[in-house]
Amino acid sequence: MALPKRIIKETERLVADPAPGITAAPHDDNLRYFDVTIQGPDGSPFQQGVFKLELFLPEEYPMSPPKVRFLTKIYHPNIGRICLDILKDKWSPALQIRTVLLSVQALLSAPNPDDPLATDVAKHYKENEKDAQRVSREWTEKYASG
Amino acid sequence: MDIPEADDVEFAPRGLFFAGLDDEEQNRMEDIQSSQNPQSAPQPSTPLSSVREKRLFFADSDDEEIPRFEVSDRPTPMDTGAKDGADDSWSDVEIPNFDEVPRASSKRRVSPLPAPRGSRGGVDSAYLGSFLVGNAWSTVKGKGYVNSGEEIRVERDEPDGGSSSKPAPTASGSGKGKKGGVPDKKKKQLSLSAMLKPQPPKLAKRKTDTVVRLTNKRGFEFGRLPQDVASWVSKLLDMGIVDFKGSMMIDCPTTLHSGADLIVSLSVYVRPSAFKPPSTSAEEESSKVIFSQGQETHDEQALRERKTALLCLFDAVGLRPRCGAQVSADGNSPGDESSDIAKQATQRPVGATKEGKKPKTEIVGDGEVIEVEDGEELSDNELDMIYKKAQRNDLGMGEMDPPDTFALTLRGYQKQALLWMHSMESGQISVREATSMHPLWSEYVFPCEPRDGVIDLTEDDKLFYFNPYSGELSLEFPKAERKLKGGILACKVMGMGKTIMLSALIQTNRDPELVISDDLAKDSSRARQLKLDKAFRPMPLKERKRSDKGPSATLIVAPTSLLSQWSEELQRSSKPGTVKVTVWHGQNRLDLDGIEADGDDDKTIKVVVTSYGVLASEHSKLLKACGQSSVFQVEWLRVILDEAHHCKSRTSKTAKAVYALRARRRWAVTGTPIVNKLEDLYSLLKYLEYTPWSSYSFFRSFITVPFLARDPKAIEIVQVILESVLLRREKNMRDSTGKRIVELPAKEVSVETLQFSASERKIYDSIYNHAKRDFEQLNAKGLVGKNYTHILAMLMRLRRAVLHPDLVVDPDDVDEKPNSGSKDGTIDVDAIIENLSEEDASAKTSKKVFAESVLATLKDTDNGECPICLDVMETPAIIPTCMHQCCKDCIVSYLATCAEREEEGRCPTCSGGPIKEQDLIEVIRPKVTPEDTKGGIDFFEKGKSKASTSIPEVVLRRNDFRSSTKLEALIHNLRRLQDQDPHFRAVVFSQFTSFLSLISVALDRERLTWYRFDGSMDMRKRNAAVSEFRKNERKPKVLIVSLKAGGVGLNLTSANHVFMMDCWWNAATESQAIDRVHRIGQEKTVYVKHFIIDHTIEARILQIQKRKTAIVKEAFRGSKTSEKGDPDSLENLKVIFGDD
Repeated sequence: MALPKRIIKETERLVADPAPGITAAPHDDNLRYFDVTIQGPDGSPFQQGVFKLELFLPEEYPMSPPKVRFLTKIYHPNIGRICLDILKDKWSPALQIRTVLLSVQALLSAPNPDDPLATDVAKHYKENEKDAQRVSREWTEKYASG
Repeated sequence: MDIPEADDVEFAPRGLFFAGLDDEEQNRMEDIQSSQNPQSAPQPSTPLSSVREKRLFFADSDDEEIPRFEVSDRPTPMDTGAKDGADDSWSDVEIPNFDEVPRASSKRRVSPLPAPRGSRGGVDSAYLGSFLVGNAWSTVKGKGYVNSGEEIRVERDEPDGGSSSKPAPTASGSGKGKKGGVPDKKKKQLSLSAMLKPQPPKLAKRKTDTVVRLTNKRGFEFGRLPQDVASWVSKLLDMGIVDFKGSMMIDCPTTLHSGADLIVSLSVYVRPSAFKPPSTSAEEESSKVIFSQGQETHDEQALRERKTALLCLFDAVGLRPRCGAQVSADGNSPGDESSDIAKQATQRPVGATKEGKKPKTEIVGDGEVIEVEDGEELSDNELDMIYKKAQRNDLGMGEMDPPDTFALTLRGYQKQALLWMHSMESGQISVREATSMHPLWSEYVFPCEPRDGVIDLTEDDKLFYFNPYSGELSLEFPKAERKLKGGILACKVMGMGKTIMLSALIQTNRDPELVISDDLAKDSSRARQLKLDKAFRPMPLKERKRSDKGPSATLIVAPTSLLSQWSEELQRSSKPGTVKVTVWHGQNRLDLDGIEADGDDDKTIKVVVTSYGVLASEHSKLLKACGQSSVFQVEWLRVILDEAHHCKSRTSKTAKAVYALRARRRWAVTGTPIVNKLEDLYSLLKYLEYTPWSSYSFFRSFITVPFLARDPKAIEIVQVILESVLLRREKNMRDSTGKRIVELPAKEVSVETLQFSASERKIYDSIYNHAKRDFEQLNAKGLVGKNYTHILAMLMRLRRAVLHPDLVVDPDDVDEKPNSGSKDGTIDVDAIIENLSEEDASAKTSKKVFAESVLATLKDTDNGECPICLDVMETPAIIPTCMHQCCKDCIVSYLATCAEREEEGRCPTCSGGPIKEQDLIEVIRPKVTPEDTKGGIDFFEKGKSKASTSIPEVVLRRNDFRSSTKLEALIHNLRRLQDQDPHFRAVVFSQFTSFLSLISVALDRERLTWYRFDGSMDMRKRNAAVSEFRKNERKPKVLIVSLKAGGVGLNLTSANHVFMMDCWWNAATESQAIDRVHRIGQEKTVYVKHFIIDHTIEARILQIQKRKTAIVKEAFRGSKTSEKGDPDSLENLKVIFGDD
């Protein structure tokens, strides 16, 4: 099926007017598949890190949310599988790739260890936030600095 | 049949035999009747008129002659035994009902018997030739019966030869006498004939007595002719056509024994009575035509047998035509051909009767339903062939200019047509080459008489003429003669300007014809009219009043939908004041008697336009006791039938009404003189009074029956007929310079394949799977034929589902639609604000401010960007709770997705909600045209200014209308069209009027002006719709037309965009609809768009369309009456339910 006009438009805008600290470029052979990088926000344990993600726009997009996955290892309470409501039930077709990625970036600044789907990382953050942030920084340095 | 075989005992058991036979026949007949013609059984007028006919006939017949039917009515038991299996083609011949054959003068006598000759005053027979019969056989044993070289006689059994034979013939004879023509209409008279006792013997099943006895001079029978010779010799003797005089025994054993071979020479003399012209047509036809519904009458059988026998005779004596019909080099020797015909023709009626099929019905005229027969259909190739000859001389035909009073300019081919019509009316020899000898006749020379002493009839002229098609003999030169004034104008396509051509004719030949006094109208073709005159007896004064001037008015009969078109075109094509057109239709029809009487201005040409429906109802009025109808009283100068195939069925009320019109000149205009059977042509010829073809017996015997026997002559005859009465004008015909006679602008047809929305797909698939399962089950059990109606209903449902879910969903299931008060769903802005105010007080103010600002910006011509598709909103929709906007399509499909996930729909922008599809508010913005730059007025003043101004304005509309994929596609196309051409004219066809209604709602919502044309509207409304649509206004207009109602004649050339919403089984029907627009007068390229939904029944229908469409049309007509599916329709069903 031909690429919907909306995806083309979004891609054009991402290229022409990129969001600060975010790059997104579609694959040549699959325009629904994007290589994404997000810079760790200043003031967060992920500062200085450049995180690689992949973003895929399913057939139903924009009626269904895009699928986003971190490729770079990251120590974050809500990221392994990204826990972001707008990528699930709070999705709205008025949201776009850009807004999704900005949300992910925001998530890096504001981890939410109270998320009901808590992981070991969340537990760590909840019990000893300082120590957890230390691990996050270490991981960032180790995996996201290249 | 268990019948005694010995000759001698034949009479005694005959009564028994008859009794048995009667019962059997009666049962059989009832079977046939109940299965064949259930609804036509009561036909009260039939017995009466037929009795009258019969009596007339008896009065005319020679007293000395014994009623003829009796002999052949009964079977000869001996005969049955003797020749069973000998020659089936002859022994199974239906018995002719000889009382219908006026010319067969019943010589059931020994051939050279003195009595008949004496009564003819010594006029003697003419020698035709002699032939040898090598395998006659002896029936006696012993010596002295006959010797070689002796003269022998050839005899037939006398009908009432012995006194003991009386009972049987009397029974049958009296039956005849009392009941008149009951046997003739046995097909129709179930109740009557069942009641009448004794039952007249059914003829068709009886074996024919064909025994021809050879006797010596003393009158003793010693032998018989072999079956193959006797079969036709007996006919010739029975019909009194020939004598066998001076026949000789050539060789025989001196002692005869039963079965011994005899060689005899038979000399044939044709009797003078054979040359009497047959009088088949006029007298009995009025009754005949009514009864016989495609069945061959006895009359026709007799003629056919006579013809066949004569052909055999000519073959036997080696007589060859010198010139004429049979000299043509088609290689068919008369003998072969005739026996062939005989076989085929004799098989057919029996077969047709036995099948007991349910008759198909068709709708003719104005909704009259008639039965049609199966079979006899013509392939397109055959039709083409038929027409080809009729057109072959057309290229070089001259032209004629119309008179000054004609206001338009004619095209070349129209001028040709005018010349042709003019010459046809003025009785000049056809513009085409006229054949000198009647095409059906052949010229023969009497052979030399080998003996002296016989008076030769042909002393002066040794020629005689034989018509190998009819079996007629004549001594007079048969001229190719054409008495009728008028003909058939065949315009294959719409828009050839036939109206114009005929208008030119009316202007050209305007002078009244001379008065013909009543006694001049005595020729046989007028018999019917004379009869009608009796009905007019109460008004002799008026009859007389008219008689000082000949008829001068023209009557035009057309389908109801075309009446006003005729009227308008006639006015348009004539100089003002030269023509007075009266549309004679509706409740208050004037007395037409005065139509010619108000002749203060004789220059004005009077034209009356009426419909088939009116004519038929007037005719039934006329048929009532003392009924009167002025339209049948007036003698018209000219009657024109438009779309004349409306009366193609000769038994329909419409056709009968048309036949009853009194006119000097008769024209039939039709695109299809032969719709699908040769017999379609008959009705036209009958109307045209084109003798002898206007006699159904003739037509049937010489055209239909041979055609069924695959005899190419049938087509040739039709060609000859058409050549003399028909002019065909075709869109792709070329004139003498090789140019097309009509240049039409291009036609671009495209198919837009659409995808169902998910919910539509769901609905459709469930119906389809259900139907498919049903079909497969039925098919496996072989019950498809029985449940054909059910399957058709399922198909219908599928076809509706493709168009719009509402057409198949139970009305109860449809959500209650909020009643917005106005038909186009407009809502008031104040109400929206009001609704917002109901929200909680804290949010109220800010929301209201936002809402007002949103509404205020609506009038801006630029729409914002849709948050979903990121495109400029084409049709913005406002979410009422938060006033956010999206494209209508985007938000609707998003809400649908939500519904599928069983989530509540929310505003994409603010997650406000929940929202429902029908709550959305559409913003309808005016199309800004270059001329209309005035723009929108203040939005909030909308309510006040709406009524007083037509300035485009922004309108809000509740989205409470459920659309569909097809509907949306149409609307999209129309919007695009409007962008390109702000004053476009489009025609939208659908076959479902319920879908037309949905379309009209959608058009309303688009604020497009639309008009509707469908079968449920009366004529006045239809006319109003069409003329409003045609009116030249600076705005777009859409005409929505029901495919069936708009199928004929309609001129919609003001439009050049056609949208076909659904597909019909038969591509021809579709193209006919398209030709409404793509016809003469169209100046622009015509764009046709078919909407097809992918992966639905529609694709299969297209597939079927590509199959032989001719088959499909009957199979899928969808009428309830065609309950049986033929193999083809089963095939088609398999296509539909097959896997991809």
